[in-house]
Amino acid sequence: MKIVVLVKQVPDSGAERNLRPDDNTVDRSSANNVINEMDEYAIEEALRLQEAHGGEVTILTMGPERASESIRKALSMGPDGAVHVLDNALSGTDALGTSRVLAAALQRINPDVVLCGAESTDAGGQVLPHMLAERLGIAALTGARKLTVEGSQLTIERQTEEGYEVVTAATPAVVSVWDTINEPRYPSFKGIMAAKKKPVETLSLADLGVSAEQVGWTGALTGVASHSKRPPRSAGQKVADSGEGGVQLVEFLTNEKFV
Amino acid sequence: MTPSAQQRDFAASLHELLAAADTPSMARAWGRGEHPSGLALWRQLAKLGVTALAIPESHDGLGATAMDLVVAFEELGHHAVPGPLVESIAVAPLLAPPQWLPRLASGEVIATVAPWYLDADIADLVLGGTPGALAACVDRTRRLFPAAGDLTEPAFNAGVLACAAQLSGLGRALLEMSVSYAKSRVQFGQPIGQLQAIKHRLAEVLIALDFARPLLYAAAFSGTARDISAAKVACGDAAYLAARTALQVHGAIGYTEEFDLSIWFSKVRALVSVWGTPAEHRARVMAAL
Repeated sequence: MKIVVLVKQVPDSGAERNLRPDDNTVDRSSANNVINEMDEYAIEEALRLQEAHGGEVTILTMGPERASESIRKALSMGPDGAVHVLDNALSGTDALGTSRVLAAALQRINPDVVLCGAESTDAGGQVLPHMLAERLGIAALTGARKLTVEGSQLTIERQTEEGYEVVTAATPAVVSVWDTINEPRYPSFKGIMAAKKKPVETLSLADLGVSAEQVGWTGALTGVASHSKRPPRSAGQKVADSGEGGVQLVEFLTNEKFV
Repeated sequence: MTPSAQQRDFAASLHELLAAADTPSMARAWGRGEHPSGLALWRQLAKLGVTALAIPESHDGLGATAMDLVVAFEELGHHAVPGPLVESIAVAPLLAPPQWLPRLASGEVIATVAPWYLDADIADLVLGGTPGALAACVDRTRRLFPAAGDLTEPAFNAGVLACAAQLSGLGRALLEMSVSYAKSRVQFGQPIGQLQAIKHRLAEVLIALDFARPLLYAAAFSGTARDISAAKVACGDAAYLAARTALQVHGAIGYTEEFDLSIWFSKVRALVSVWGTPAEHRARVMAAL
């Protein structure tokens, strides 16, 4: 089974994150850049599939030069190799453009299963898995909290607010996962040492046959017009309890639609 | 002589594992003689390769360098992990009969060694002599069974180096705790970390720890008795300063056993004087000069 895991490098969600004042994009230069947390679950799921069914696992990343750190980190968990789509023209690309580039890269690899995190911690759009499936003309099994494979049949439990839905599809398919699906492994000494010897193929837009006009700032159909800091929290309302405190509390919760 | 990118990645991986493992609760349980959580962590450490580092590749180990071990032990100290880590992971591989090595590497076998026989009650393999009865230690997570016994010179040196690395990590953790406390503890209308007297003390700890580290890495690199002794003295002094300062910065709460600082504090106190006292190591340095 050929598995590709999409890995995005994002600013650490544990630290303060900013948008750049000049072009409204995520400020990655001052941030501690890490693997998108949800993608680690996708890598773990891919490795478990590989352990159970054989095959190979490839990491696919689109991102600037420094995304190679995240690729190494991903490889140290155990995948066999990686493809890094790296091109200066990609700066400013929106989700639609990203899906165009990743779809082109996936067509070269021709995997049975594409695994990815259900969302990234920086953009949080959740749209990419669907866009990729549409572009590639394959099934989208999204938001999985469980994945089982029998032959070429994939079954997921799609996590919803009320419970879960069972969704099936035949390979090839895109599967996006939530952090409820597994517990990602920590890179081992052996994995870290092996990672530096694993092949990482770097591809440009030209290699993928995607023109620069279709991506980047020029190709983006969406953009951030402006941004501002979240206003500081205002002081809460203090209620002195003179026997009516409980009622006021319930009224507050009702107004806020908590109850 | 600083850790490579791979060694830093390995330390980061260990840090992530240990930070999520709630080592303080584990250490308290271990001290009470309740081992399940600590042994579960041991198996996880084995998965990451920690138990296989000092075992040669010919016996299913990783054949790692002394520097790899130092990096791992700094992180084990950083999180005050309980158990016979130095004994089983750094020392036993040099003493154990070859048929034991694959299972030491896989983490199935835990070993302990003379003369303290740390955790002899759960050890599968005891090396260097026969353990005595359970004895009290200032660090309650250290369950000692002291008795006579002997170690070879290389085995002793491996223990000293690993212990020095553990002290370096313990000291760093104590500094981190103190800095974070000094930033959050407000007194006289300001965080105490804004007071110059506190800043100076913390800066001195940082300097001591930063100056001890090159000696530690040099000892891993050269492997000579003199360098290893110098590293043990420097890391012990720095960690002890970090511990004393942490106690001062934390004030009254630092003295309570229920507060996690006590786990790091008492471990430093214990490790400063095992694997050779500071005086013994100074004498070894002196003799080699």
